[in-house]
Amino acid sequence: MSHLLCGQNKTAPEYQVKAVFLYNFTQFIEWPPSSFKEPDDPFIIGIIGDDPFGSYLDETVAGERFGTHPIKIQRYNDVKNISNCQILYISSDDVETTKKILSAVSGKGVLTVSDVPNFYKWGGTVRFFTENNKIRLQINVDLSKAEELDISSKLLNVAKTN
Amino acid sequence: MERTPTVFLIDDDTDDQEIFSYAMKQADDSVNCIFADDGIHALEKIKAEENFVPDFIFIDINMPRMNGQQCLKEIKKIERLKNTPVFMYSTSADPSVIEENIQLGAAEFIVKPADVNDLTKILSRIVKQNVLALILLICFFGIVPFKSFGQTDTLRVKELKKLSVEDLMNIVVTSVSKSPEKLSEVASAIQVVTGEEIKRSGTLRLPGALRLATNMQVYSSGAHNTRISSRGFNGYPIDNTSFGNKLLVLIDGRTVYTPLLGGVYWDVQNVLLEDVKQIEVISGPGGSLWGANAVNGIVNIISKSAKETQGIYASGASGGSLKDFGALRYGSHIDTTFFYRVYAQRYDINSSTLANGIDAKDAWGISQGGFRMDYIPSTKSTFTLQGDLYDGKENDSASTLVNGQNMVARWTYRFSDKSGVTVQSYFDRTYRNVPGSFIDEFNTFDIDMQHNFSIGSRNKIVWGIGYRTADNSFNSAANTIQPNRKTLLLYSGFVQDQIAIIPERIDLTIGTKVLHNDYTGLEFQPTVRLAYFINDKNTLWASVSRAVRTPSRLDADIASPVSFKSENLLAYELGYRMQPIDNVSFSIATYYNQYTRLRSLDTNPASPSEFYFGNNLKANTSGIEVSAEAIVTSWWKVRGGYNWLHQKFATTSTLTYPQSYLLEAIDPQNQFLIQSMIEVAKHFQIDCIVRYVDVVPAALTLPSIPSYLTFDLRLAYNYKWVTVSVVGTNLAQKYHGSSGSIQIPRSIYGRITVSF
Repeated sequence: MSHLLCGQNKTAPEYQVKAVFLYNFTQFIEWPPSSFKEPDDPFIIGIIGDDPFGSYLDETVAGERFGTHPIKIQRYNDVKNISNCQILYISSDDVETTKKILSAVSGKGVLTVSDVPNFYKWGGTVRFFTENNKIRLQINVDLSKAEELDISSKLLNVAKTN
Repeated sequence: MERTPTVFLIDDDTDDQEIFSYAMKQADDSVNCIFADDGIHALEKIKAEENFVPDFIFIDINMPRMNGQQCLKEIKKIERLKNTPVFMYSTSADPSVIEENIQLGAAEFIVKPADVNDLTKILSRIVKQNVLALILLICFFGIVPFKSFGQTDTLRVKELKKLSVEDLMNIVVTSVSKSPEKLSEVASAIQVVTGEEIKRSGTLRLPGALRLATNMQVYSSGAHNTRISSRGFNGYPIDNTSFGNKLLVLIDGRTVYTPLLGGVYWDVQNVLLEDVKQIEVISGPGGSLWGANAVNGIVNIISKSAKETQGIYASGASGGSLKDFGALRYGSHIDTTFFYRVYAQRYDINSSTLANGIDAKDAWGISQGGFRMDYIPSTKSTFTLQGDLYDGKENDSASTLVNGQNMVARWTYRFSDKSGVTVQSYFDRTYRNVPGSFIDEFNTFDIDMQHNFSIGSRNKIVWGIGYRTADNSFNSAANTIQPNRKTLLLYSGFVQDQIAIIPERIDLTIGTKVLHNDYTGLEFQPTVRLAYFINDKNTLWASVSRAVRTPSRLDADIASPVSFKSENLLAYELGYRMQPIDNVSFSIATYYNQYTRLRSLDTNPASPSEFYFGNNLKANTSGIEVSAEAIVTSWWKVRGGYNWLHQKFATTSTLTYPQSYLLEAIDPQNQFLIQSMIEVAKHFQIDCIVRYVDVVPAALTLPSIPSYLTFDLRLAYNYKWVTVSVVGTNLAQKYHGSSGSIQIPRSIYGRITVSF
């Protein structure tokens, strides 16, 4: 009977896969030059609110660079200083809180990411969703253009876009 | 080397030996028959040959020199034959003799059939039980290679990073039940059973779903009778419930225990299992948030929102002890803010069987229908209205009629991530007519409000108030509960503060529930809980709580020289929860409970033949609950649990009937359940449940129940919107004991489900 079981998909914890996705974004997206002042300024992946990644995200980006910029993880408790990051993961599912965060980073070249179903509607850029236990992406292309983020067609091809 | 199964027949009649030998050859010719002419011979042979371990022993009852029963007693004393099933074999079937032999440890009592073909059938069944045991092994270890967890199939970060985006999108993401999300539950023995686990168990009714929470003790005591508890105190069985009274059960926020008994009438607690999101079971006193009766545990049955149950679902099943089952649900929406569903279902269940094979004549049926509407005008606000009505008829000593109607309205508003308010109100009518015995009717109205908010970053506060009025009319032939009509009022309130002593490291929760009831006035139920997060995968927790069981009408409204007080519990808990690797979670909870003023059966010194309820029993119980869950591979999930219970009762008055604790607690010491769920290829599921229940002690008029190990098997094939399944329950034996003289049969049913 066991031959029936071959060819099954590999498994991994949800947030480990999402952490790798966040890292992959740095490979498939170009940020505007204005994002960095110095060549050794860090590339910051920020998390605001509860952190569902545990140590996965730190493990994933350890020792990695975006061009000349070392990738760093930063966790925020409030909206102050969040605009210095390049990717911002937002865990809140509250519309007011989320909108407040989104308006704080609007126009600053930040790729906003969330798991919340309405994120797209509220003005976020990238949303993770799960389909048949597999991670899928929804990308708001218009918004990414407005933020001067150049997303590779490779990524757009596998994502649900507007 | 292949081993030949051996049967040892002890029978003085050589003709019977020959017939037996012939029938056994017909049933399975690989079996080797060995004979002894009487009990003395048999014991001599067993003593002389130290390696002689037959697979089955059959003993004739009527033999010279030493009768079958004495022989059985002697054989049961021999250590190496401890696990060998012994079958008693006789021409006559006197129920008292059967009972006695089963008590002495006989596996089964077989009446010598007149026809050799009938004997062949019986022997064939017995021998095949061994084959079933083998299937069981295959189910767990055979089909699939046993891999060490978390290595072979789980990719590490490095490997994941090498994957292309397309490949990354093909990774199946897994999550084992993590630590509870609500922090108030972190420091408690909570177990969650998901809708998927219920579906994969093949169970059709709520008690079967509750059994999947391994910190629950669920025993069937007839076709419609069930005894359910946690941490012991499963009481003496009565129709559709038991004298047990220490569990708080909520179905979508509606309390369903009856203030008549303090227990739950399980026959009328039905839900469309397909629409159950999850069942949360907290064993132990439930902290300050929950009301009276949450002494030994809380069961919270939560259904899916109307949005999650859109479309048509239809399911029908029949076979074995299930006469038929049918369910239909339709879910739709008016716009993106208003969702609804309606459903109807019907159960018809066949009679159970008594120990001597006699029909228990307790067949029954119940129809139920209902609806749910969810209006979500904004992301902050949700309004839910739901209701059910049911009507059933069951056989027992009388033809019991049951019906009921209920409706729940709930409004939730979130001010922000950290604060919100919920207001809930329900109406619940229950009616039970046992002709010749009693008519019991309750009309309950309840309203509750709860509000949560934070003070600074360290204090999370929840508080609430509640009011309930339960109008009861109880008319019985014996007229024991007086007055016939009574309205019970309950006012309650609670407050809880969760304090981050060291943020993300140590959390302290303190709180109390205050309630006021008609019998004992004001009651306080404080609790202190401490959680220590060693890291994000290991949590140590401890708690001390006081809980009370306020009197039911049965306790307090029967003529008595004393007034019944609330039962008290002081509970100490210590637990540990860990996730050693990503796809495995493990939890252990231990407890030490001191109960005082428990219900006792006391005699009136003036007239010793009169009994009444007093509070002269006390008990100390301790126990361990272990549970674990592992996602072995993307297609195989295993979960299970074990619990151990030790109880010690004492009376505090010479007026107390020494055996009165047997009304309150008839519990086995050990039990476990393992559920395995395997997805074979894309469309097949092979699911299995193995469970063991230790000896249930004899109680008053009830015999003890031998321990049993049994298993259920579910095979399902799914194609697009159709699922066909076959479910076998209690497959290990033809019958196993469960409660009293009721025998639970092996049963197989087929089911077809359509959903789109």
